[in-house]
Amino acid sequence: MLKVEHLTKVYPGGTVALKDLSFEVSDGEFLVIIGLSGSGKSTLLRCINRLIDPTEGKVILDGIDVTASKGAELRHIRRKIGMIFQHFNLVKRSSVLTNVLNGRLGYLNPWTSTLGFFPADEKKRAMDALKRLSIDDKVDSRADALSGGQQQRVGIARTLMQEPTLILADEPVASLDPVLAHSIMQYLEQLNKEDKVTVICSLHYLDLIQRYATRVIGLKDGVKVFEGSPAEINREKFKEIYGEEAQDVRATALE
Amino acid sequence: MQKYKPFLKALRKLLITIVLVVLIILSIRVTEPDLVKLVSSFPKAESIMGQLLSPVLFDRESEKITVSQMVPVPCDSVPSLVSADSGPRIILDPPCGSPKDVINLRGVELPPNAEISLRWILPDGGLLSIKNIMTDDKGEIDMPLEIRPITTATDGKAAQISFEVTLPNGKLVVAQTLKDVIDAMFVTIFMALIATTLGTIIAVPLSFLAASNITRRGALGTGVYYLVRAFLNIIRSYEPLVLATIFAMIVGFGSPFAGVIALSITTAASLGKMFSEAVESIDTGPIEAITATGANRIQVVMYAVVPQIIPDFLSFTIYHWDINVRISTIIGFVGGGGIGYLLSQRINTLQYSQAGTALLAIILVVWALDFLSSEIRKSLV
Ligand SMILES: Nc1ncnc2c1ncn2[C@@H]1O[C@H](COP(=O)(O)OP(=O)(O)OP(=O)(O)O)[C@@H](O)[C@H]1O
Ligand SMILES: [Mg+2]
Repeated sequence: MLKVEHLTKVYPGGTVALKDLSFEVSDGEFLVIIGLSGSGKSTLLRCINRLIDPTEGKVILDGIDVTASKGAELRHIRRKIGMIFQHFNLVKRSSVLTNVLNGRLGYLNPWTSTLGFFPADEKKRAMDALKRLSIDDKVDSRADALSGGQQQRVGIARTLMQEPTLILADEPVASLDPVLAHSIMQYLEQLNKEDKVTVICSLHYLDLIQRYATRVIGLKDGVKVFEGSPAEINREKFKEIYGEEAQDVRATALE
Repeated sequence: MQKYKPFLKALRKLLITIVLVVLIILSIRVTEPDLVKLVSSFPKAESIMGQLLSPVLFDRESEKITVSQMVPVPCDSVPSLVSADSGPRIILDPPCGSPKDVINLRGVELPPNAEISLRWILPDGGLLSIKNIMTDDKGEIDMPLEIRPITTATDGKAAQISFEVTLPNGKLVVAQTLKDVIDAMFVTIFMALIATTLGTIIAVPLSFLAASNITRRGALGTGVYYLVRAFLNIIRSYEPLVLATIFAMIVGFGSPFAGVIALSITTAASLGKMFSEAVESIDTGPIEAITATGANRIQVVMYAVVPQIIPDFLSFTIYHWDINVRISTIIGFVGGGGIGYLLSQRINTLQYSQAGTALLAIILVVWALDFLSSEIRKSLV
């Protein structure tokens, strides 16, 4: 259970990215965040695992105040929150295996892992994660030798190593073609349904929203302008979230 | 106002041109170029260049046959000895003389086509070189010899004329100069290697402290960041040459240690700066991703930062070793030891052929390292 209470983020330059935002996410939900570029989706997701410190408000995960925690406590909270990125954020020069093992660092002895030593059972765990994403044949490749879809699967495998209860996915398919987009979304859906992982995911394509979301939150200039089921997103709502200009382009996707 | 813009622009160009011309004239006057002297000293330059371009590399192994013959100067000062009548020998005609006389000198039954160094052994035992001369096919030489006043007999002892024969079929051996040059070259290369290693070890932690994306967080971090950067910039403004001169005064001239300290310091500063820029230019995505997994700061640096910077760090380090070899040759000139020191000594004592050996070695080593370092760096990308 995740509670976001009166969350506000003002960047040093003065940009108000989030304005008094509140909502709740129950366990097992697949919540999709939509909104124009610059509406604050990435800021919101990063406030949840404190990659960004919010200016005001609280994030409470399973009764623990994430916004008040620091040091080891914060790292323990982060361990349970997986994150998936639009640009995959793999270490390009490292092998696929190392990239996946990186997801386990929060659980490992800081001293031995600093020296580059990973126990054999962790390597096996990494192989299992790669198998689950059908990318185990690339285990020894350098990350930058992989295609975009393959890199994102490695990104998900890295997240699996965390044994997460919550996954934050920031436009996970925005740099992939539509076919690959569905395949990646299906892996997320699988984690959501089979492993009971709560997913909060920002998305741009309406067909993906309709297909995967259990609930949708719409942001506009950092303010929540919509909250409801994907079925409730009609022309009117869409115009509200995306503005008049976007209407023609996006509304066609609704037909 | 708008109307005058092209005019103002032209005026500005004109002013800049005038300033440039004045600067050039000033610099010509300050540096006092003397073209006449450059041309008039051509013969001297030719001789120096000739020697520099014929470096001493090998010597013929010499069998030291020494033949000597007493020369009473003046004639009645000491009873003259009858010379042997077989074997390698010197025949003087007349067998004695007074200062300034020119007598005839013949050497017979010597090895044919051998190089002979001819010299006086003075009454007090001192040596005075006359010249080097080649024997003919029959193993003879025949030449006029001027009797110098310094060869006058003293205390009943006469001067002697002596040959030292270098056999033409003697084996080629590495000249002592070449050995000295190779030794000094190794000193220089290792000097550069140690300085680069020490400099790198110091530069790595400094570079992280001077990288804004790693250190510049909070008041303490920002303070450290500016402090380290300022420190690096100050050190970088000292030329290694200046530092080497200072340290040579402290630890002694001709000691490689002075060069090593100076080079380590400048290497640390300039690699620190280069490294910190490499750290600043890394992709922050992986840092974000690994931070999000719950890894601590050190783990983030090890797994997200280090893999990204290793190729750059290695490449900069190798490049700097290459630079340091060049600088250490120059540092030798100001007393830092190694090949530069040897070169400056040979030049100061006018031994230009030996200086040529050192120059040749420097050129070869610099060229080889340049090639090697660029090959290694290419393979790192
Ligand atoms: N580090 C930052 N410093 C200052 N302003 C920022 C920073 N990051 C984001 N912003 C601003 O905050 C606002 C929200 O940005 P955010 O990246 O959260 O939007 P987004 O919805 O994720 O957009 P996109 O769809 O383009 O990813 C934007 O106006 C952006 O310019
Ligand atoms: Mg974004």
